[in-house]
Amino acid sequence: MIAARRASTRPTFFLALALGIFSAAAAQAKPITIDDSGTAALEPSVSLRWRSATPPRSGIDNLMVGTTTIRVRINVMPWLHRSGRIYLSLPAQQPGPIGASWITQGRFLPGQIQSGNRALVYAGPITTPFMEDVLKFHFTVDGSLIRRSFPVTFHFEMDES
Amino acid sequence: MLRGATLLAALSPSAFAYTVTIDAAAPQTIYLQVGVGSFSADYCGGTTYPPPHNTPNCGPAYGGGTPQNNTTINSVSVTLASTAVGNGTAQAMTTNSTAANSFLDGWTFCSVPGQLYIGGFFRTAGATTAAAQVTATVPAALTDATGDTIPFSKIQWTSSGIGDNGTEPFPAGTFVNGGVQTVGSMGSNSWNESCWTFTYLNNTVPPAGTFTGVVLYTMSAP
Repeated sequence: MIAARRASTRPTFFLALALGIFSAAAAQAKPITIDDSGTAALEPSVSLRWRSATPPRSGIDNLMVGTTTIRVRINVMPWLHRSGRIYLSLPAQQPGPIGASWITQGRFLPGQIQSGNRALVYAGPITTPFMEDVLKFHFTVDGSLIRRSFPVTFHFEMDES
Repeated sequence: MLRGATLLAALSPSAFAYTVTIDAAAPQTIYLQVGVGSFSADYCGGTTYPPPHNTPNCGPAYGGGTPQNNTTINSVSVTLASTAVGNGTAQAMTTNSTAANSFLDGWTFCSVPGQLYIGGFFRTAGATTAAAQVTATVPAALTDATGDTIPFSKIQWTSSGIGDNGTEPFPAGTFVNGGVQTVGSMGSNSWNESCWTFTYLNNTVPPAGTFTGVVLYTMSAP
């Protein structure tokens, strides 16, 4: 009887372990970069200017700012008729810390972000193959880091739910 | 699971990203004000966006106004009674400049007509650079209508500012008798200002007359 009891407990243990691993994987869904090849900027580049034309008397105010408008079009066909959470991700990149804020026309959420992070722009059902909005970005960069023109890269990523 | 694997293979995480090009457009700005100057509005800037200030003289956005061109030439002068000429008692000079308030924040910084405002800044992107230099191009002497002269070195100045402490960016000095002399410097991306109080040394006896001379101030940024 003892041997039989031991034998009957093992499958239960392995089943519980397997469920546990599966549950953890579902909770930490790997973000998937979304096809944004339909996205286009309405201006060719972002021209920076000093946030304040005049510097302070003491301390440092080296921030430079610039705005640009981008027509975002992302392909969410793979998630059609499902729910998901879409993030705007601004990876850490040269020349250093970059701040970005944006306003939208309503399809996506407005937000702000520092490079190296991501911000939620949509959560809910995916009802159309493509999602579009016009985002007006406001970038902030430390002027002491700027020596020449530089690219800023961002992308959209999906967390499936 | 099969659908998920297929999806990951089709959408490589590095395949899609959007890139915008950012360039620093005309980031360099210099401003020098000796006497009166012009700004579209006071600076009033802070370190937050949008600026929290909402006073009438603050710029409407991005923390403040912008410098304007002002061609006014201010004078500094003193009139001596004949009995006082050359008696060795230094004479305070006054200016026709009305610039008492700093465009930095509207603060009453100089006391007019006893003080002449001098201030400015230079904006530059990139790494820290050498300081900008402000120089005075000084004639050899003040002259009157008949050619009599008073050496420019008979005029000196002290430097201060209301509510100020520490080292002045435009320190006290004495004019040279002809030549170019440095009268101050400005580190990049900071506002610099002082108030000069001029004095005529009055330790020689020139002929009676009206003696004038023009000093040209120049700012040179790297």
